[in-house]
Amino acid sequence: MILEQFSLEVKTAIITGGGSGLGREIALAMARAGADVAVTARHLERLEETAAEVRKLGKKSLALSTDVTRSDQVNRMVERVISEFGKVDIMVNNAGSGAPRKPIWEISDQEWREGIDTNLTGAFYCCRAVSRHMVERQQGNIINVASGYGLRGDRNLFMYSCGKAGTILLTRSLALTWARDGIRVNSIVPGWFATMPRMDPEVQRFIASRAPFIPVGRPGHPEEIGPLAVYLASDASSYVTGQIFLTDGGGLVGGFAPTHYGPIVPI
Amino acid sequence: MIGDEFSLKGKVGIVAGDSGLACSVAEALAEADAEVILAGRGLNAREVQDVQAAARRMGRRVVAVRTNIAQPRGAQAMVDKALAEFGRIDILVNTVDLPFGKPLVEVTNDEWRRVFDANLTAVFYCCRAVGQHLLQQKSGRIINIVSGLAVRGMSNWTAYCASKGGVLQLTRALALEWARANIRVNAIGTGWLSAEEVSEEAEKDPLIRYIPMRRKGKPSELGGLVVYLASDASDYVTGHLYVVDGGVLAHA
Repeated sequence: MILEQFSLEVKTAIITGGGSGLGREIALAMARAGADVAVTARHLERLEETAAEVRKLGKKSLALSTDVTRSDQVNRMVERVISEFGKVDIMVNNAGSGAPRKPIWEISDQEWREGIDTNLTGAFYCCRAVSRHMVERQQGNIINVASGYGLRGDRNLFMYSCGKAGTILLTRSLALTWARDGIRVNSIVPGWFATMPRMDPEVQRFIASRAPFIPVGRPGHPEEIGPLAVYLASDASSYVTGQIFLTDGGGLVGGFAPTHYGPIVPI
Repeated sequence: MIGDEFSLKGKVGIVAGDSGLACSVAEALAEADAEVILAGRGLNAREVQDVQAAARRMGRRVVAVRTNIAQPRGAQAMVDKALAEFGRIDILVNTVDLPFGKPLVEVTNDEWRRVFDANLTAVFYCCRAVGQHLLQQKSGRIINIVSGLAVRGMSNWTAYCASKGGVLQLTRALALEWARANIRVNAIGTGWLSAEEVSEEAEKDPLIRYIPMRRKGKPSELGGLVVYLASDASDYVTGHLYVVDGGVLAHA
């Protein structure tokens, strides 16, 4: 039965950046599909809220304060999840954030490193932390949440673009490395969604203002990321690995032309 | 209930094509609760019966239409049947695939035309016929099943690669054109699929060494993705190629 293929019953998932935004939606969607879910982020408060909602869905949850740019914290976090739940089946690397967008000559060495660390190194540390466990079990599933800016550039956008693009190649190389170990690794590439790591009103207004430039005419609703993550984590995608899955309302398809620019030209 | 977000209850899907893959897709749609039209010239009676039995278990119907969907009249016949049987159309899955490999200098005019007629023009006819209806309704889903060879090359397969690449570009342009009408158009890029169980002989196939997962895929392994792309859950996805190939294109 096809819908049973989407089940995540008896699976344990870790979602980084799981306290808010897309991470939270992925955590809840996976719990609804049957998974126990550990969520991590730097700040515990919103994490506890997500964990509480997972428990309301009848699944087990753990909220762990973790800075993914610190490998010691990442390793401890994964060890803690394995000791509480017995295993890790699914790793969702969603933590990441915007980095300062300014002229290249104003970017300090430190700002460059921090931007890359948050958006790429964190994903690397998390993948490494679950690697031996998954290879020993000969099963596992990793989803790296990238961004449309991992595929396209923009003015003065350096750390974020380079970091996110890096996660896409990390996805491909890990997938190829582990294709015969029963571990699948894929990327979700979101376009504009009506949620950002920090939900301040100015950012929200900016995202809403993108609507005319998005072919479907609206930013994504955060809940829409859930089913895609469940598909990639479940047996429904058993032959899928090393690939990117865009969900962007068609934003990246149009290239440079304004949305709906299409002159009628007869032969 | 898990899977509720992927349900196709109340929806009607047309699967254009007559291969084992078409039947597998029709079965997946029916199992997700859609009513289905299966339209193709060479539908295998036995395979169709199996699909219809699977659909009946869900309380759904799969209606087979013997018609050449690579012709405008055939594409229209498929649409007319869907409206007559079920009163609406929500989903179109184009599965027609004519493989063809030959050194370019030996390819005849007729062979080139036949490859394009089957692999590309049929998609145009079906999208146009169904599209008129979807545009009126201001909703719909089109899924074009292509191949990894829509994005990478292969020696001796110029006509095929060009035709599948054409379908991919059609997908992207159409996605933009119909975005505001709430019609989503996407493509699935498949790797090498085989309906047969893995046998020793299959293991010796030199091709297998180049598939990171070291096996061919089963047509049933596309079902989940077709259902996702056909469902309301994927309303923010349009114009894209989703690849199901055991890792081949990760290395390409």
